[in-house]
Amino acid sequence: MQHVRNVMRQLLLVVISIVSLYPVWFMLSTALKSTKYYTLDPTGFPYHVTFSNFSAVFHNWPILLWMRNSLIVTIVAVGVSTVISIMAAFAIVFGKGRGRESLFRSNIALMAIPPVALLIPMYTLMVTLGLINQLPSVMIFYTGLLVPFSVFFFVNFFREIPLELVEAAYMDGAPHRRILRKIIVPLSGASTITLVIVNAIFVWNELLVALVFLQSNTSRTLMAGLALYQGRYVTNEPLLMAAAFFSILPLVVLYIFGQRFFVRGLTAGIGK
Amino acid sequence: MSSMDATTPLQELFDKEDQTAPDTRSVWRRHQLWPYGYMAPVLVALGLVFGYSFIEVVRYSFYAGSVGQLTYVGTANYKELFADPQFTHSMFNNFKLLATVPIVTGASLALALIINTTFRGVRQYRAIVFLPYILPATAMGLSFSYLLQGKGVLDGLLHSLHLSFLIHDWLGSPSWVIFSIGGVIVWQQFGFGVVVFSAALLSVPGETVEAARIDGASWWVVQRRILIPQIRRIIEFFVILQAIIVLSSVFTYVYVLTGGGPAYSSSVMEFFIYQNGFENGSIGIASAAAVVLLAIASVFIAFYIWVRVRATKQDA
Amino acid sequence: MMLGFVTLPIAGSVSGASTKTTITYWFWGESDIPGITKWMQQRIATYEAANPGVKVDLVPQSNTTIIPSFTLAAQSKTGPDLDTQWATLPTILPALGGAVTPISNFVSKADTAHWLNTNENTYQGKIYAMPLYMIGVPLVFNKKLFKEAGLAPVAPATWAEFLADCKALKAKGITPIGMGNKDGYFGAWMFAIYEKQMLNSISQLTEGVAGKGGAETKLMASLKSMYTSFQGLIKSGYVNSNVESLTLDQGWQLFPEGKAAMSFTTDGNVLSWAKTVGEANVGVGKPPILGKGALASTYDVTQSSDEFITSWSKNPKADAKFLEWLHEPVNMVALNKETGAFPADNQFPVSDITDPLARALDTLDTSGTSVWLENYIPPQIDSDADLPAGQLITSGSGSPAAAVALWQQQLSLWRTQQPTQFKQFSTWAAAS
Repeated sequence: MQHVRNVMRQLLLVVISIVSLYPVWFMLSTALKSTKYYTLDPTGFPYHVTFSNFSAVFHNWPILLWMRNSLIVTIVAVGVSTVISIMAAFAIVFGKGRGRESLFRSNIALMAIPPVALLIPMYTLMVTLGLINQLPSVMIFYTGLLVPFSVFFFVNFFREIPLELVEAAYMDGAPHRRILRKIIVPLSGASTITLVIVNAIFVWNELLVALVFLQSNTSRTLMAGLALYQGRYVTNEPLLMAAAFFSILPLVVLYIFGQRFFVRGLTAGIGK
Repeated sequence: MSSMDATTPLQELFDKEDQTAPDTRSVWRRHQLWPYGYMAPVLVALGLVFGYSFIEVVRYSFYAGSVGQLTYVGTANYKELFADPQFTHSMFNNFKLLATVPIVTGASLALALIINTTFRGVRQYRAIVFLPYILPATAMGLSFSYLLQGKGVLDGLLHSLHLSFLIHDWLGSPSWVIFSIGGVIVWQQFGFGVVVFSAALLSVPGETVEAARIDGASWWVVQRRILIPQIRRIIEFFVILQAIIVLSSVFTYVYVLTGGGPAYSSSVMEFFIYQNGFENGSIGIASAAAVVLLAIASVFIAFYIWVRVRATKQDA
Repeated sequence: MMLGFVTLPIAGSVSGASTKTTITYWFWGESDIPGITKWMQQRIATYEAANPGVKVDLVPQSNTTIIPSFTLAAQSKTGPDLDTQWATLPTILPALGGAVTPISNFVSKADTAHWLNTNENTYQGKIYAMPLYMIGVPLVFNKKLFKEAGLAPVAPATWAEFLADCKALKAKGITPIGMGNKDGYFGAWMFAIYEKQMLNSISQLTEGVAGKGGAETKLMASLKSMYTSFQGLIKSGYVNSNVESLTLDQGWQLFPEGKAAMSFTTDGNVLSWAKTVGEANVGVGKPPILGKGALASTYDVTQSSDEFITSWSKNPKADAKFLEWLHEPVNMVALNKETGAFPADNQFPVSDITDPLARALDTLDTSGTSVWLENYIPPQIDSDADLPAGQLITSGSGSPAAAVALWQQQLSLWRTQQPTQFKQFSTWAAAS
């Protein structure tokens, strides 16, 4: 009976795995076909592999430029939001003074605000500041969007740091700055990595804000560029799939190597 | 929030949360100034991105026109909004998408329970199942738009499996399209649920389950009577999180898969705001829609906070 | 490699020594004229070689982005130096909103006199944009498939003949009409071709859009009649069944693949498809006549799209010089040779066209007056009413009455949410 159960469980898992992976497989196998081959056999295995679509995307699309933009925006937004969130979380957990708990609770609420609701005022603000089509516009917006979850995350983490460590340092006469730098930050290493990964995925994958703020071909992010080129190449599926595959490749590679970080970070804050 | 009347239930619940909280964590005796400085950058960021935006989006909702050419119209935008079938339809589409929440929750919980043992390959399977969650919706949406095309890959597959009666124009049929989008959402969120519930199940004390088994409880009873209640709080968080996602983070799929079509049938509130505010430049009505979306989101957020606080209360 | 990657210069903002002028050009045309993007890229290469201080950055647009991307750019007054929009209102309304610098400011009358159909983009004596090509929108049919269905290889002249042809084709298992409406453009073309046939004059349309009492009611009635006929085509199964999930460009693949017997398309596509299907098998004709309005006998030639200088461009003179140069006879001849397109230039010797199919198209194009009705509705009405209304019909989810209700609702939404643009439209409509 148990054996039958095990077999059925394996079967279920295999089916679910196929469903999970098929759209990715479809993307890759289409990208490896020529347009003629694809028209003849959209779903079959790509027996006659061609890399011409990948090289066409690489050479004719500003895909490297888009990736560079996405990378810069991700690094800055995630970097800044992480630093200021650590500072604020440190103050909330270990500091003294009014407003700390309110700030924490505000962040919990703000975590769930739909970014689209903020988009119009942010857009008109950026127009006034002349930052449309400039990368700083999305950097500012993303930083703001990442703060609530980051603060929430770090506060939860700091609350689990043994108080004795902090007390000992305090007794030794360390000022707050030193406590933060020498005690808290080193302890937060792994957690910070997981948060950084979570936030980086959000920024890298984000479409709506990037679509609106960065409209010129040279300032576009990867996802916005991909979405926009969709219309132009709608009849050239292999080419589009090759570009789409380029866009997921960094994430897939990172995932294969650091999967547990992804999992830990993305499920943080759900439980205790 | 801190200026609320102490007698309101919400404030009482917040006070309860306070009892498990922080001032006890501060080693400093006297009042310090540095915490204010440390919190300042976050306050600036939040004030700008959230505070400023909240005020302005409400203000814009009373005007009509484009950037730089606004005319005051009072509450006309709201009246127009609720008389606009595209808006009401978008709103109902978001609510229809809520149907994915029990599906994702139920399915991922079921799988998490089923694989809640160690066997060969369980980690690899979990990794595979989680992958869709990290993939960019833009790229996956593109792939799905060809898979779900009328007479596309899915239809071809159904045909070869002799299931032709199931064939539909998944993205071209106005009655099906929002559910097709829901299907893609389920595909992506499923792995997230599996991982969340798996982690939660791991933290259930082994003794409880052992005791039940010794008492002769069947597998099914163990799941229903022991495990699920133990992780009830996680399930609640997950459900509300999914509801919030479906309300405010589905733009990409709509934009890439259908562009809101056919004839607005797959439009959601985010898309309505984007189309009116940015493709048409009609900031007024888009802002009004944004305010309505915020109001609905607040209800969900309030619920979320209530669940959190109730959980903390039960812990204490 | 990492370092090089990171220091990739942002095109157009190279600071320091270089005094290059960069012209960012958001161009559209491939859907009308297959191959025109390549022609444009080659013109740019030639121009840059001859003008080393100038760089033209071509950014082709798609059917779905051509209007919204520009509306977005116009709000922040940043973005491209040159843009392509569809003729008349999609160009004139942004112009009245301050987004366009008239090209006639920079090009002499002697030169603009060579351009065809400039009236489509002229207002108050200023020519706002430059035409590149002229297209007609014929009905194209596959003579071989017609013969298979027992039909004479002749284009149907009336709607009744059209329906009869469709019926015969369907009986033989041949898809009569191959189009795509996922992006809404099949419906938009039905509006342009068949709503026009219901009207006696363009002002019947513009007055209806402006909301002038009786005119709006009459317009809605004629729309309903047109959508009813459109619905008839769909319900009878004369259009490919997946029309709703294919974009216009995708739906157009059906004809050259031999999977559909007829289609409505542009001159440029006809010539391109003839290469795949075989020129002997391709026939063209005027779209079958359905309506009884005075405009029913007109054809539908238009410059379709036009090129203009944006008002925020920092180098309008350089922009104009490039645009004007495109009309050099050598470039216009190349356009025709490479794509089969008919240049919008009276210096182009039409007698040069020897290909019989091209001649047939040219004959249609020059056969009399032409109106492309879609040019005369505001772009927001086009995107938000025209396109989705057609989708209600092709998806079967809405009746003609629902389609008309959508028009009415979107018109009133546009009037209240874009009061300035509405005023400008009304002024323009009264003056035209």
